[in-house]
Amino acid sequence: MKRREFLKNTVVLANAAAFGGLTYGAQQASIPCPVTLLPMPDYGRDMEKEIAAIMAGDGLALKGKKVLLKPNFVETHPERPINTNPSVIAGVAHACLRLGAAQVIVGEASGHRRDPWFSVLNPSLRSILDKKVRCVDLNHGDAVAVPNKGGLTGLPHFYLAKPVAEADVLISLPKMKTHHWVGVTLCLKNLFGVLPGIYYGWPKNLLHVRGIERSILDLARTVKVHYSIIDGVVGMEGDGPIMGKAKPVGALVLSPFPLAADSTAVRLMGFDPQKIFYLVQAGRFLQGLRQQDVVIRGERPGRFATRFDCLEEFKGMRGGPFF
Amino acid sequence: MGSCQGTSLRGGSGPPGKPGAPAAVASDFNLGYNDDVMERSASETAALVERLLSFSLPDGGLSYNRGSGSSAEPTLLATLALFASGMPADRVEPFLAWARKIQNPDGSVGVDPGHRDQGVWLTAQAAIAFHHYGLKENLARARGFLLSLRSVTIPKDPRLKQDNTLTGWPWVPGTFGWVEPTAWSLIALSLSGLGGHPRAEEGARFLLDRQIPSGGWNYGNPALDEKELLPFWDTTGLALVALHGHADPKRIGASLELMEKNQGRIESLSGLSWAVLGLQGYGRDAGRSKVRLLKVMSSLRDEEFHAGNFALGLIALSGKKVFIP
Repeated sequence: MKRREFLKNTVVLANAAAFGGLTYGAQQASIPCPVTLLPMPDYGRDMEKEIAAIMAGDGLALKGKKVLLKPNFVETHPERPINTNPSVIAGVAHACLRLGAAQVIVGEASGHRRDPWFSVLNPSLRSILDKKVRCVDLNHGDAVAVPNKGGLTGLPHFYLAKPVAEADVLISLPKMKTHHWVGVTLCLKNLFGVLPGIYYGWPKNLLHVRGIERSILDLARTVKVHYSIIDGVVGMEGDGPIMGKAKPVGALVLSPFPLAADSTAVRLMGFDPQKIFYLVQAGRFLQGLRQQDVVIRGERPGRFATRFDCLEEFKGMRGGPFF
Repeated sequence: MGSCQGTSLRGGSGPPGKPGAPAAVASDFNLGYNDDVMERSASETAALVERLLSFSLPDGGLSYNRGSGSSAEPTLLATLALFASGMPADRVEPFLAWARKIQNPDGSVGVDPGHRDQGVWLTAQAAIAFHHYGLKENLARARGFLLSLRSVTIPKDPRLKQDNTLTGWPWVPGTFGWVEPTAWSLIALSLSGLGGHPRAEEGARFLLDRQIPSGGWNYGNPALDEKELLPFWDTTGLALVALHGHADPKRIGASLELMEKNQGRIESLSGLSWAVLGLQGYGRDAGRSKVRLLKVMSSLRDEEFHAGNFALGLIALSGKKVFIP
């Protein structure tokens, strides 16, 4: 038995009555959602100016704001691109300073590792950040209980790490990866990392037991993501989010609409977002699921469109070509 | 390791502290090096203890980092670091009073005063602190809660290399067992005389079952899809400490070898602390890790500070058996 089978079984055991009724009403009305594809063939290039220009062009107002950047750090492996690359984080952090942010914090509640040295306190990240940028381990420290606006998990509250609750602007910086339980992990799944491990554990097993998809949806309803930048320079295919293989795509995906960023990344990966359950459900309360609602800027998407390998049970997600 | 009663605090196997006396921290740290190194290290560790205490707050607790409120983990681990350093009672009492105050009627201890029902795996750390300071009533209630806290299990699957029928301890009630909460709970039970309790024995089996065949522990499973996972230094050191006296040394030999061989590669405060604690618990050479640990702790900036890990570092440097009966 594979771990995902084991956990899927246990989710059913622990929460047998919870599924069903996953409905939020009709899909969101159509509005144009800009998504920019920024070519980045490798991590050696400084992208600060380009990222700042795109964010400003998307109307992201950061002057005088407290900005929290939420990368994805799970665990480290010498041969696998599991985490958001430090160069991308630094590029975005410096772009935020360029746009006049009063405070920029890089914060993460790493899902597998308690030791913050393997997350935002790693020297490889800290050494390339401007001194004005703070790195904060969200796993340990104060949290704020906020009502769960989704209600699918049955959890009355989420305990958000205080820096997240206090931020004026939250920017999600996930890695473009497949995920062995829910198909893909991008901006919406990245929200697991705003919850402190000291409350939820390592991994955040309570969210698994309550249902990963339900938890993603509840968090997406509860936590507002103001901007999303997906690290698709080198993604992960196959048995993601930790056991897969490197998959170079060579682009960052930027959008003020997290679901538009996710659905576009999914299409670039060779999957159909309409076949990914939690994305479809998110489309009932977030903009940007449908391709006709997405306005792609920057580089033409066909340049980056590829086909991510995935586990057998997720082959049904395949779709396209979209571009 | 004996317990301390009331205000008569003892530094483990070291000299007793005197209430109200100046902190005799320096002489209580045994780094196992020559006199010059010892002298320098001892004075440094005294400063490190004071640095930890600078994170204490007016409510009696201690915060993980600057700007946060008091939390159970750094407060509890600080009491143990002070215990290891032979700190006078008056310096420790506010922390103990804070810990006693946030203990719930059912014996559990949660994250902080505002969230007492969250993170109750921390009850294990509270039990260890209550044990060392002779707080019998608090200990009894904490222990009772720990014995009632069980991880979710599922039927055995012959295709799986791990035994999911074994009960360990979860991070959150109603969820599965994981290496770290199981190890902390096993330590708490072993220290307080319940090492032979069926729950403790099963907890030890749980940890041995989750050991990576080639050595060490990840945070949960030893393997995924037939592939061994990478060992983590913190969980490996913690599991080794917890299994002290519970496992045939042959069963954990590969993990000890792995830790001993790789200690020069460990760079983090948490990893180094647990490497020292894990290795010295079995009489293995932790010298390189100790030297590195002292250096890391001495150069740590406030923005990198994690008071819980810092307290663990002090316990590791002390050489005292705080987590082993």
